[in-house]
Amino acid sequence: MATVSLTVNGKKATAQVESRTLLVQLLREHLGLTGTHVGCDTSQCGACVVHVDGVSVKSCTMLAVQAEGASVTTIEGLANGNELHPMQAAFREHHGLQCGFCTPGMVMSAVDFAKRNKNPTEHQIREWLEGNLCRCTGYHNIVKAIQAGTEAMARTVR
Amino acid sequence: MTAQGIGVPVRRKEDARFLTGQGTYTDDINRHGQVYAHILRSPHAHAKIGKIDTAVAKDAPGVVAVFTGADMQVGGLPCGWLIKSKDGTPMAEPPHPVLAQGKVRHVGDPVAVVIAASRAEARDAAELIEIDYDVLPAAVTAEDALKPGAPQLHDGAPGNLCYDWHIGDKAAVDAAFAKAAHVTRLEIVNNRLVANPLEPRAAIGEFDRGTGEYTLYTTSQNPHVIRLLMGAFVLQLPEHKLRVVAPDVGGGFGSKIFHYAEEAIITWAAGKVGKPIKWTADRSESFASDAQGRDHVTTAELALDKNGKFLALRVATQANLGAYLSTFSTSVPTYLYATLLAGTYTTPAIYAEVKAAFTNTVPVDAYRGAGRPEACFVVERLVDAAARETKIDPVELRRRNFIAKDAYPYQTPVALVYDSGDYAATLDMALKSADYAGFEKRRQEAAKRGKLRGIGIATYIEACGIAPSALAGAIGARAGLYETAEVRVHPTGSISVFTGTHSHGQGHETTFAQIVSDRLSVPIEMVEVVHGDTDKIPFGMGTYGSRSLPVGGSALVKSLDKVVNKGKKIAAHLLEASEADIEFKDGKYTVAGTDKAVPFAQIAFTAYVPHNYPIEELEPGLDETSF
Repeated sequence: MATVSLTVNGKKATAQVESRTLLVQLLREHLGLTGTHVGCDTSQCGACVVHVDGVSVKSCTMLAVQAEGASVTTIEGLANGNELHPMQAAFREHHGLQCGFCTPGMVMSAVDFAKRNKNPTEHQIREWLEGNLCRCTGYHNIVKAIQAGTEAMARTVR
Repeated sequence: MTAQGIGVPVRRKEDARFLTGQGTYTDDINRHGQVYAHILRSPHAHAKIGKIDTAVAKDAPGVVAVFTGADMQVGGLPCGWLIKSKDGTPMAEPPHPVLAQGKVRHVGDPVAVVIAASRAEARDAAELIEIDYDVLPAAVTAEDALKPGAPQLHDGAPGNLCYDWHIGDKAAVDAAFAKAAHVTRLEIVNNRLVANPLEPRAAIGEFDRGTGEYTLYTTSQNPHVIRLLMGAFVLQLPEHKLRVVAPDVGGGFGSKIFHYAEEAIITWAAGKVGKPIKWTADRSESFASDAQGRDHVTTAELALDKNGKFLALRVATQANLGAYLSTFSTSVPTYLYATLLAGTYTTPAIYAEVKAAFTNTVPVDAYRGAGRPEACFVVERLVDAAARETKIDPVELRRRNFIAKDAYPYQTPVALVYDSGDYAATLDMALKSADYAGFEKRRQEAAKRGKLRGIGIATYIEACGIAPSALAGAIGARAGLYETAEVRVHPTGSISVFTGTHSHGQGHETTFAQIVSDRLSVPIEMVEVVHGDTDKIPFGMGTYGSRSLPVGGSALVKSLDKVVNKGKKIAAHLLEASEADIEFKDGKYTVAGTDKAVPFAQIAFTAYVPHNYPIEELEPGLDETSF
């Protein structure tokens, strides 16, 4: 067993885990943050994307112990109270989700993208989404949502 | 139409929770004292099982229990549609054990279940189970399985044949082919595919010793169907002691319609070990255990006269059903397939025969469209090939054979009656949208850039929202196909709707609330749509085959009508008028021709606080159910 201490959504957390425990298992099973999903176990679908020290990471592909001392943000930590983050609001406005299972990973991935690309083309968005699979909407509205969310973030976030 | 009524593009009610990580999918649920199951599956396509040694696994760290087929002597997984062969004999329906009984028939066939304190310990212990497999030759395609001398899967299915079914008039088709000016013939493979919803299947079983009640949380499109099949056929649990909950479900695409072995294993084992048990598939398990789709091999022939009019269609399909009959598997390559072979055309004679085979593969069942896209693929491929062969433009050939818009109701030669349609008009719209006339120019422009540009045409018709009928029973359906809706108006006028349909991405919580808003003029924020719990919903057949709105929405409208009509009686009393003079509009009951009015919310309150109320003639309350 190993001890992991990290910051999750701004709060300090410590957990005793088997050293083989994945970051996503720490989040879901030890910390009860079930908004981060596991869709494929193989780093393909991106339903498990969280931010580790501000960068999007597939949490099914990182050991919990590798997050020692890190600051992790999950989908639960993105909104400001009841006020949706601009990217969340854009997904809602543009109907960028159906069953919702891929959505947390999509949104977290999109937020990282928006921070890196202030004025992206549709092509850049689609390239970035290579690592996030959606089985319902066929991406069209997700791309629209990310375009709008990126613009909104440029206006409102830092 | 109200501001949020039918057809208004409102923002979805369910999105806020999905966007903030507050959705509750099955694997997000944790029950007190929960332990975890790992299913050990066959690595072989076909093998006899000798000895299974679980002793070491049972002693492994964290292990609570290990069960094999010898421990779990319960009913087999049932099939919900009886197909009869050409000669009238019922289909072969061999046992579908939940845990293998002496033999495995596909890679992924469940052999044992290990229950342990953690997922990892369950998986570790499963690796310690020793199984003696006597590997047998396997047949994986329908064609191979149906050949003489093929490896035999089931004692009760000689030649691996499930059924040899047909529909249509063979003699009329043969006669038409004999006089045809042209015959187009194709061999068509409609490949197998894996449904792959993004959320893997999962199940949590729980047993309450105090009440004797079982609860199953499961990734299902239709929890009542699971309760019925698992309760009545597999575990012999009465429905009042079995609750099935299908919470938020991350996509289904058909693959979450069916009753799966894991649901029965987890529920049964929860009773044995006295603790809640969670099982969640990993993606590899999804590939090896979720029912798959399609897998038809078809020979199809179209007979045409010299003017390109279709005279007859002859279709012979081999359908691969996999190793066992999944819940609705048998209906897919028959009644959901061949009845659509008329497509949008006036082909006067059609004959189709379907041989369904057992093979050493994962079971096949309904997947997106289920049989109907397979029929469309056959028909439209044939029409395109015929157009090329006869050098008739593919648009023109279709136009010549469309059912005319004044020919309805139209009886097809394959059972269905079409009620309406104007295919020429919709094709015109599609051609205009695609700028079909300008295609040649675009093709030449693309060719200059070294690109090969193509364009394709297909027409599609689908029979969906299958409802109960004497016909459904006559052709072998073993389930009722109706739907329920309960509209519970609360004393202060907010509303809960209980629907037997299930949303796994379709957005019923919004669209069904819009139906209520449309009828009662209440904001959708005052309407909660409840689904996916057999303890809350009177009954339901779930969501598949595009049935939620046509069948479930109709039940909802019927219940809303009942609510409105009961409200009229209450309003007549309050307004001291005749019921016949009461009108309901814009959320108000009025006396026709007067300004006397009472709002809907006041009627609701009056129904629950019936001090001034026609109590002798009318029950209190405002809660209506329709089937």
